[in-house]
Amino acid sequence: MNVSLCRDDATYTAGGYLRASWRVSRVSIEELSSVEVSVLWYTEGKGDEDLSVHYFRRYDGPELRQLGMVDSLPIECRLPPSPLSYRGHLLKIQWGIRVRVFVEEGREAVAEHPFYLVARKPDPDALTETSRMDLPCLDQPIKTPLHRRLPAVLRRWRARRRESAS
Amino acid sequence: MRRSRSVWQWRPWSKKLGRRLRTGPFRGVLGELAFYLGLIFAGVFILTLVLVAHWMVPRIGIDLPEEARVVLDSDLARGGGHHWGRWIVAIISVAAIGSGAFGLGYRLMHLGFSQERISAQKGRLSRWNAPAPPGKSDGDAGEMSQEEESKPSGEYPSLPAVPQGLALDESLGERLQYRLASVSTGRRAVLGSASLALLWNSVCVVLLAVAISGWWYGRPRPVLAMLLVPFTGVAVWALKSFLRQVRQIAGVGPTVVEISEHPLEPGGKYELFILQMGRMRLRTLRVNLVCEEESFFRQGTDVRSDQYVALSKELLVEGPVRVDPQTPWEQQLEFELPTNVMHSFCATNNSVRWRLIVSGEARPWPSFCRSFPLVVHPPLMVPPNSPR
Repeated sequence: MNVSLCRDDATYTAGGYLRASWRVSRVSIEELSSVEVSVLWYTEGKGDEDLSVHYFRRYDGPELRQLGMVDSLPIECRLPPSPLSYRGHLLKIQWGIRVRVFVEEGREAVAEHPFYLVARKPDPDALTETSRMDLPCLDQPIKTPLHRRLPAVLRRWRARRRESAS
Repeated sequence: MRRSRSVWQWRPWSKKLGRRLRTGPFRGVLGELAFYLGLIFAGVFILTLVLVAHWMVPRIGIDLPEEARVVLDSDLARGGGHHWGRWIVAIISVAAIGSGAFGLGYRLMHLGFSQERISAQKGRLSRWNAPAPPGKSDGDAGEMSQEEESKPSGEYPSLPAVPQGLALDESLGERLQYRLASVSTGRRAVLGSASLALLWNSVCVVLLAVAISGWWYGRPRPVLAMLLVPFTGVAVWALKSFLRQVRQIAGVGPTVVEISEHPLEPGGKYELFILQMGRMRLRTLRVNLVCEEESFFRQGTDVRSDQYVALSKELLVEGPVRVDPQTPWEQQLEFELPTNVMHSFCATNNSVRWRLIVSGEARPWPSFCRSFPLVVHPPLMVPPNSPR
């Protein structure tokens, strides 16, 4: 199972839109009984677990066969304003996308991709409907600083030089 | 681990160490189903017994074998022989059938359901889901999305997992906008100590009267007289404790805290007005802003809680302070809530709470500590909540 988010840093703002995709590979569609995809938060720590599902969708066997499962399937939802991700002493609030696959004979497998829900930035344009439709991901990507991008840039530049020399 | 388990097997009265689940979830489900079925069968059996004994046998008038008569004449079928007894037994059996059927139905309906699906079916799906793509049915989420679509994007109807705290700021302040509500200041505890002191002293007086009358009529009770010594000690202690609590409540006057805005927001600046009434001299008076994590967890069969102060900011320390009924102590100050702090969070087992704590160290009156809960919202999410 593979879950991929639209943001590399896995950080989303409260009230913003989450776009992700999921895919189940190496299992034939006939073997799949159903798949449940959920966006949820849960607590970890000393106390008993609290869990709340924000987005839930269940794909039954016929629906999965109709979809074909060749490409990744999208998840799109608007994230709530709270609770924000938190790492405290007694408790930790963790957001994540959970994909639960039910195979024939009652077996199941779970994959989870955590992400962070942070406070909304003071950018009113980020929530307009038009920009939501135009952009694949509403949250503005965070610009990576130059010192982090430099090794990758150098690698590409050397690869190009090698190609041109050969 | 193996050692502790083997020890527990020989001592079933002690608490089991380590993991409490010794069997898989499948056996748990089977046990639950067996329990509900047993409840239904027991209810049906007792109800049938009552109905047959009360309605069918007298009307039909058939000759029953001796064993059947013994069962139908039993206390259970006759409800103990009282007039309302059989009706009470019938109602209890109907309740057993109902609860068993409900439990069995609920368990069977959720058999094989994932944790997420159960949570989603409980109606906890948020209204914040995005509109579903046209032409696709999205179950519950899709219905919520259409409702959400009609709302303006900037509107925040509710903050999930954030306490609303409507009762905290419902009264208006005199100096500032809101007067904060205080949590219990020990008035319930004084009722408990008053009851204990009253009951124990009454028992002591009765026992003392019995002991004295025994001496008076020439039948002394030395054991009772010896027991009276520790009993009197406990009675004096209970009376002292009650008087101390009364003095604490009556001596320390009310504390009033008003705030310029509520709910709070990280990074925001707020004004605070504190008023302390009564007649006392305080060595120090402190006002602290505290953020506390609280977790509830099961340990064995007990439910325990743990608190941790994640942030404590001292807003005011003043001393010595003199408070008179004519001139109550008052102070107005401004404070800033730090940025990058967690908002108020409230779930079933875990919570993050914010509060203002006003504490005073007093002589000769006992020290006091009063707590005023606050609600902190995530940044830029404060809905309009002004009573004015």
